[in-house]
Amino acid sequence: MGMVFFAKDILFSWLAFVIYDKKCTWNIMGNCLKMSNSDDISLLRGNDSLNRQTNATQPIYHLDGHDPQIFYPTASVSINNTTSTAHQLYEDGQVKIAKRIGLMQHLPIGTYDGCSKKSRECVICMAELSVGEAVRYLPCMHIYHVNCIDDWLLRSLTCPSCLEPVDGALLISYDTT
Amino acid sequence: MSELQSSLLLKKQLAELNKNPVEGFSAGLIDENDIFRWEVLIIGPPDTLYEGGFFKAHLYFPKEYPLRPPRMKFVTEIWHPNIEKNGDVCISILHEPGDDKWGYEKASERWLPVHTVETILISVISMLADPNDESPANVDAAKEWRESYIDFKRKVARCVRKSQEECS
Repeated sequence: MGMVFFAKDILFSWLAFVIYDKKCTWNIMGNCLKMSNSDDISLLRGNDSLNRQTNATQPIYHLDGHDPQIFYPTASVSINNTTSTAHQLYEDGQVKIAKRIGLMQHLPIGTYDGCSKKSRECVICMAELSVGEAVRYLPCMHIYHVNCIDDWLLRSLTCPSCLEPVDGALLISYDTT
Repeated sequence: MSELQSSLLLKKQLAELNKNPVEGFSAGLIDENDIFRWEVLIIGPPDTLYEGGFFKAHLYFPKEYPLRPPRMKFVTEIWHPNIEKNGDVCISILHEPGDDKWGYEKASERWLPVHTVETILISVISMLADPNDESPANVDAAKEWRESYIDFKRKVARCVRKSQEECS
């Protein structure tokens, strides 16, 4: 029971990433469209979204019929036609993130014991791993600070060091359980 | 990754680049109080059309660096298929992480949190030497590069001369 609540909490706290994740897809190779520099998390706030709507200088992007505006639920007042689609996509995004968090929980966490002779650093924050710190092991056996790698895996399921996909076998075992 | 960690990571890189400069570019900050905005000077790579040029560019890091990539923009005028006319650099390693659903790029070709100012610049310098005309940011430059190389060379040479005048 406790576990269920835990997963739910994580799900909501990472909602911001759903929107973030969708926005990322605008900028694909060969389509170097201008992107907003602002912190995407701010889009969750109603006021910000409304300001965006009325901002005449804000470019509107259309990529193969995918209108990025629909990912801001609070802005749907002015885009009634897409509201139901927006809701569907929003839920799809939540499911995707929830699945990803579930997958990440299958990756073992350990305590760095410093037993290797040379010192090792977490290549994400470039700080040396110190004995007793919580580290996560990826299937390729690369290790990182739990916080550093978890933030990254929510964005991309790839080992930053060797580019090995983290899903694959893990994903299959997760889907069948 | 907090803003504090991001700025520490960037400070570390700046200190390292000051101590051990890398061949081909020099790096500093636009404003010494803002670690998130860098100014770099790229030396036109030898044996390329850009040889002899000094190209100034800015890097704008997000607060979420290294989980998200910086933007890079040339301030010096430069003519290249993968650099927009306004200077914005279009290179896959600076594209937001994750798989894109159109399948143009694999996750491994896109942003990774192990990239540093040094690795980004090495990629950009190699892009100068070797344009990727499959996904041009400056369509006119790409077309010229493919179809009328003499005109392309002339435009690049003009940029190189201009960059030398700006630097002197």
